[in-house]
Amino acid sequence: MSVPTTRAAVPVLAAEDLTVRFGRRTALANVTLSVPRGRVVSLIGPSGGGKTTLLRAFNRMNELVPGVATTGTVRFDGVDLHGDEVDPVEVRRRIGMVFQQATLFPRSIFENVAFGPRASGYTGDLQELAEELLAAVGLWSEVAEDLDRPAMQLSAGQQQRLCIARTLALRPEVLLLDEPTSALDPAATARIESLIHSLRQDYTIVLATHGRRQAARLSDLTAYLAGGELIEYGPTETLFTTPRDRRTESYLTGRIA
Amino acid sequence: MACGVAAAMVAAAFLTMAVVLVAKAWSAADLGFLFDPSSRVADRAGIGPALAGTLWLAALTVAFAFPVGVGTAVYLEEYLPPGGVAVVVSGAVANLAGVPSVVYGVAGLALFVRGMGMGPTLLAGGCTLAALALPTVIVTSRAAIRAVPRGLREAAYSLGATRWQVVRGQVLPAAAPGIVTGSCAAFIRTVGEAAPLLVLGAVSVMTFAPRSPADPLTSLPTQVFAWSTRSQQDFAAVAAGAGVALLLVLLVMNLVARVVRRRLQGVSA
Ligand SMILES: Nc1ncnc2c1ncn2[C@@H]1O[C@H](COP(=O)(O)OP(=O)(O)OP(=O)(O)O)[C@@H](O)[C@H]1O
Ligand SMILES: [Mg+2]
Repeated sequence: MSVPTTRAAVPVLAAEDLTVRFGRRTALANVTLSVPRGRVVSLIGPSGGGKTTLLRAFNRMNELVPGVATTGTVRFDGVDLHGDEVDPVEVRRRIGMVFQQATLFPRSIFENVAFGPRASGYTGDLQELAEELLAAVGLWSEVAEDLDRPAMQLSAGQQQRLCIARTLALRPEVLLLDEPTSALDPAATARIESLIHSLRQDYTIVLATHGRRQAARLSDLTAYLAGGELIEYGPTETLFTTPRDRRTESYLTGRIA
Repeated sequence: MACGVAAAMVAAAFLTMAVVLVAKAWSAADLGFLFDPSSRVADRAGIGPALAGTLWLAALTVAFAFPVGVGTAVYLEEYLPPGGVAVVVSGAVANLAGVPSVVYGVAGLALFVRGMGMGPTLLAGGCTLAALALPTVIVTSRAAIRAVPRGLREAAYSLGATRWQVVRGQVLPAAAPGIVTGSCAAFIRTVGEAAPLLVLGAVSVMTFAPRSPADPLTSLPTQVFAWSTRSQQDFAAVAAGAGVALLLVLLVMNLVARVVRRRLQGVSA
């Protein structure tokens, strides 16, 4: 089509023929996948399938690992993320990430939220910002009376929510969530899931998860990754009800762990 | 448990040493001893100038070696890409840490005393001791920096921090207790050194307390050495007294290091 593409038509994130190697191990092989704006995309698949590696390719975190080699293209709003003028620091400010294990700074709750905004030169009222974000993740009522408490004293579920708040403080356009509930009990998991559900209004979200039901509940699109390959990608409902690939089917029916 | 036993043994060794020294020093001990200048007559000899010299040397050594050492360690760990240069520099630093202190004295004599025209001053002594402490400060600081969990760095990078913001905001605070502990051990050992200062030309009879780094080089360890090589019996007691004073200075340095480390751990806990 020669019609000028509108912003909405350009995928927010797109991997094209992306291959990532750590030393001699291939973590991602020729993956092509695009994430439409305003959607929730789930990445599912067995352990070691490449979910984390793909997420980290989206905000240029892989390059911090010594010995990594990346080929192919990653685009953000159509712009090549590895282009010469692209600053990885800026990329990470616009594409926020929450890690598989909650890694809070050994500081106070407030300092954890304030770190990102301070790093990017935020000039507003940090106290106000912290309150807003802690409220957004449903943590405000639990920690309001003492923001100077060490963050490490929080429960696992609270820590994960604080990690999300800390990332939201960057005002990113995209959220990359790497198995945000893998370390949590069902109640805490439910809280995070409803949080993700409420965040989908404002963010494009890519969610790596082991929970097939979680993917089904939360996402518009689902990608099945195994052995570093993208096996199948499509609307969540289609993929779960009528998978095209037999490997997807056997994963979904639980014949592969 | 093993740690406790080791600590007890160290404490016992230290106590024994202190008792022997104090017993020897007893005859020389009076308040004047602390402040009087050294003298050719044992009865009138004091450690005032030597004590002041050692305090100057300690301050100069820390002031030079700490920032340079920690800065180098940060550069090597966080900035220099792994590979050729890093390997060569690491090897060089490790080797320098093993060079005998007297050799540093010879180098300091050529470089600072003569080459840069400082003469046998406290400044030249401070520079030499700083060079002596530097490799150890670098090695221990690097170890402390490397021990900072990778996840902490990655979390900071993922929040849009620049390399320097990651280092300044997360890596250094997390590594600080280890850096301080390791560096202080290096400083304490260095400040107790006599050999390099003797090579530089430390004076053995100093009649006034040094008031600036440009004053003549004097220190407790070199004073102990000078007095203990005298033939007169009386000087043995004076030497022991100076030895006790030196131990006390090092003990105070150790206590300061502990307090600083507590503070730092409090901040990052
Ligand atoms: N830093 C690294 N160094 C070396 N190999 C790595 C590194 N990170 C990932 N890999 C390898 O890349 C492959 C893909 O790993 P990745 O973490 O992306 O899988 P995953 O789908 O997220 O798995 P999980 O569900 O267990 O989190 C694995 O074989 C893994 O061993
Ligand atoms: Mg993973």
